Amino acid sequence: MDALVSKYAAEPELDIAEEDDDEVGTGLPQSVSFTLPPIDHPAKFLRAMTDDHANPSAPIKLKHGTTTLAFKFRGGVIVCTDSRATQGSWIASQTVKKVIEINPYLLGTMAGGAADCQYWLTYLGMECRLHQLRHKRLISVAAASKILANLVYSYKGMGLSMGTMLTGVGHGGVFGLYYVDSDGNRVEGNLFCVGSGATFAYGVLDRGYQWELTDEEALELGRRSILAATHRDAYSGGYINLYHIKEDGWVHHGFNDTNPIFWKQKLEKGEFQNVSTTLDA
Amino acid sequence: MAGSYDRALSVFSPDGHVFQVEYALEAVKRGTCAVGVKGKSIAVLGCEKRSAVKLQDTRITPSKIGLVDSHVCLAFAGLNADARILIDKARVEAQSHRLTVEDPVTIEYITKYVAGVQQKYTQSGGVRPFGISTLIIGFDPNDDTPRLYQTEPSGIYSAWKANAIGRSSKTVREFLERNFKEDMDREETIKLTVKSLLEVVQTGAKNIEIALMAPGKKVEYLEAEKIESYVKEIEAEKAAEAAKKKGGRGGASASTATGTSTPIGGTSTSGGVTGS
Amino acid sequence: MDVLLGIRGKDFVLIGTSKAFLHGITVMKATDDKTRALNDHTLLAFSGEAGDTIQFAEFIQANTQLYTMRHSSDLPVAAVAAFVRSELASSLRSRHPYTVNMLIGGYDTKSDTPMLYWLDYLASSTEIPYAAHGYAQYYCMSILDAHYKKGMNVEEVTGLMRDCHEELRRRMPIDFKGLRVKIVDKDGVREVEGFD
Repeated sequence: MDALVSKYAAEPELDIAEEDDDEVGTGLPQSVSFTLPPIDHPAKFLRAMTDDHANPSAPIKLKHGTTTLAFKFRGGVIVCTDSRATQGSWIASQTVKKVIEINPYLLGTMAGGAADCQYWLTYLGMECRLHQLRHKRLISVAAASKILANLVYSYKGMGLSMGTMLTGVGHGGVFGLYYVDSDGNRVEGNLFCVGSGATFAYGVLDRGYQWELTDEEALELGRRSILAATHRDAYSGGYINLYHIKEDGWVHHGFNDTNPIFWKQKLEKGEFQNVSTTLDA
Repeated sequence: MAGSYDRALSVFSPDGHVFQVEYALEAVKRGTCAVGVKGKSIAVLGCEKRSAVKLQDTRITPSKIGLVDSHVCLAFAGLNADARILIDKARVEAQSHRLTVEDPVTIEYITKYVAGVQQKYTQSGGVRPFGISTLIIGFDPNDDTPRLYQTEPSGIYSAWKANAIGRSSKTVREFLERNFKEDMDREETIKLTVKSLLEVVQTGAKNIEIALMAPGKKVEYLEAEKIESYVKEIEAEKAAEAAKKKGGRGGASASTATGTSTPIGGTSTSGGVTGS
Repeated sequence: MDVLLGIRGKDFVLIGTSKAFLHGITVMKATDDKTRALNDHTLLAFSGEAGDTIQFAEFIQANTQLYTMRHSSDLPVAAVAAFVRSELASSLRSRHPYTVNMLIGGYDTKSDTPMLYWLDYLASSTEIPYAAHGYAQYYCMSILDAHYKKGMNVEEVTGLMRDCHEELRRRMPIDFKGLRVKIVDKDGVREVEGFD
C-alpha cells in the first residue's frame, strides 16, 4: 500500500517540474531537439568539416561572402542585400534571396551559413506567430531578436554560423533593428552592415545617411551602398534585393541586376571614374 | 459510494464533478475576503486581515497582498501556505519573461500563467489543487488602462470591473454591483473598496489592508491611519443617512439612532489622526 | 579591447565603460552600454566573450530582481558580489564556462558605505578602492595609484575618471568611442555626461 502511495505521489512531481517550462511558461523551449547524425561528437565533426580558418582545405565551405545592410530613418527601415553565394572562389549562385520574409512585419537578413539562417529564421517566424496568438498582439522586434539570440547562444561553440539583422515593426508601430550573430551578440542600432563587403557598404552608407531622408532617397542610398560593395568585394554581387519597412509592414522594391545599375550609375552620374570604357591607355 | 471518488485525486465523479476542485473552492470560501476595484487609471486591492491573536506580531506577519513584479499586484483568499507557493512561481515566471523577451509581463499573461499552474494541479495524479482564488491587478507596460483578473482553483480566469473573493464574497460582490460606477477617480475607487470590505469586516480599519496601483508607478500600500480616516468618513456618512431615514419617521427616534452610532465609530478609533 | 573602470569615492562609486561595440575590424555601435542595474543601488559592468557577457549579466540581473520581489528588500552589495562570484565559480568547471570579467559598484543602504568589487572570469573577487579590466589596467592603474586619495568627493573622483579617459585617448591605439560613466550613491544609479 505504501509503495503504491509513494509511486503515485512521486511521479507527478516530476511531471510538473518537467512541463513547467513549455506548457505554461513563456512557451519558448530554450533549445529545439532534432535528430543528430550518427557521429560521436557532431559539433566537433561539423567544426572540422567547415572551419576554413583552422583548416583551409575543409571539405565543406559555408557561404561566408555577402553584403547586407539595414538602417532606420524617418520613414521606417530600409533593408538591402546582394545575392551572390560563393564556395571558396566558386560562385555557386547569383540569385540568392538573402532577405528572409519572416512574416508581413519582420525581415531577417542572411550572412554566414545559409541553412542556419533559413532554418532558424523560419523557426523564429513560428515563435512570433505563437507569441501573437498567446499575447493577442504583434511581437516586438526586441522580443523576437532576443528569442533568436537566446536560441543561437544555446548552440554556441557547436558550429552554427550566422550574422543576421532582424528588423521590422512591432506592437504600436515601433520600428526595431537588431544585429544578432552566432557568437551570441545582440545589439540594437540605427544602422548596420554585415558580411565581407560590409566595410564598402558602410563607406557609402555613413557618408549619405541622415535621419531626415525621404523614402526615395533612403531606398536609393541602400541600393547605392550595396552596389559599392558588389563592385569592390569579390564575394558580393548578382542582384540587389531591396525592401522598405513601413508602419503597416514591409514593401518589396525589387530584385535587380547590379550590372545595368552599375553602368547607369557610371554613365549618367559620372561615378566609378576608375573604370575606363575604352581599351586605349 | 461517493467516498471512493473523494479519495482518488483529480478524478471525475459520474456526474462530471472533480470533487477536489470543489473542496478547494470551499477552502477559498473560508479564507478572508479580498476585493479588487478598477477606477479610471487606478486599480485597488483591498483585503480583510485575519484578526491577530494577542501575542502575534502583526507588523511582520506576511500580508495577503503580494507583488509579483513591480507592476503586478496579487491578493488571494484561501490557504496562505498554498498562496506562497503560487505567488513564488508567478514571480519566477515574471522575471524569466523579462529575461527571455526583454519586456515585462502583461497582466493578462501572468494571470493566464497563474491560472495555468492552478489548472495543472487539477489534472495531475498525487497532487492537490491550490486552495486559493486570486485577484490580480496592474497596468501593462506603457499602457494606462487598469486591469483586474480573477483566477480560481479550477484554473478558470476572468476579467472584472470589480470583484470579491473569499468569505462572504457574495455579499460584497452584490454590494459592488449596486455601487460600482465607471471612471471613478482615485478617492472614489479607494472609498468604494473600503466601503465594500466594511460590509463583512466588523472590526474596522485595523483589519483592512489596501494596495493601489497606478500606471508606471510602484505599488502603494495605504497606511493604517489613512484607512482609518476612510472608515471614519464612511461611518459618518452611514450614520447621517441612518439619521435621515429615522428622522423621516419621527424626531424622537432620531436622537437614539445618532446616539448608538457614535460608540461604534468610537470603538474602532484609537488615535486622533483624521484626514478630511 | 573593452574598457572597464571603477573608482570608489567617499559616499559613492563611479563606473566607466567604453561605448564602442566592436566586431572584427568594425565598430558596429558607438553608444553601447556595458552595464546593467541589478537593483536600485547596484550596478554591474562587464566585458569578455561575446554573448557570455550579456547572457550572464542579465541572468544575474533577473535573479537579483527576483530576490527583491521575494523579500521586499534589495540584496545588499556584498551579497550580490558573493552571489555573482559563486555563480561564476560553479560555471567555471562546467562544459560551457562564462568568460566574463566584471566590476560591481554599489551603495550599501544599511551601513551607508559605497563598495566596489573587482571580479574576473576565474571567479576571483575582491573589494578595492579603484579597479579596471582589460587594457585600461595598463594605462590607468598608475594614475589611480598616484592620485587616488581616501574619501574623495564627486568632483575629485570625476576629475580622476577624466584623467584616465584622457590618457586612454592619448595612448591607446584603438578608438573606444568614449566612456559611459555612471554614479551609484544613496539616490541610486545615474549617468554622468561629458566623457565622449
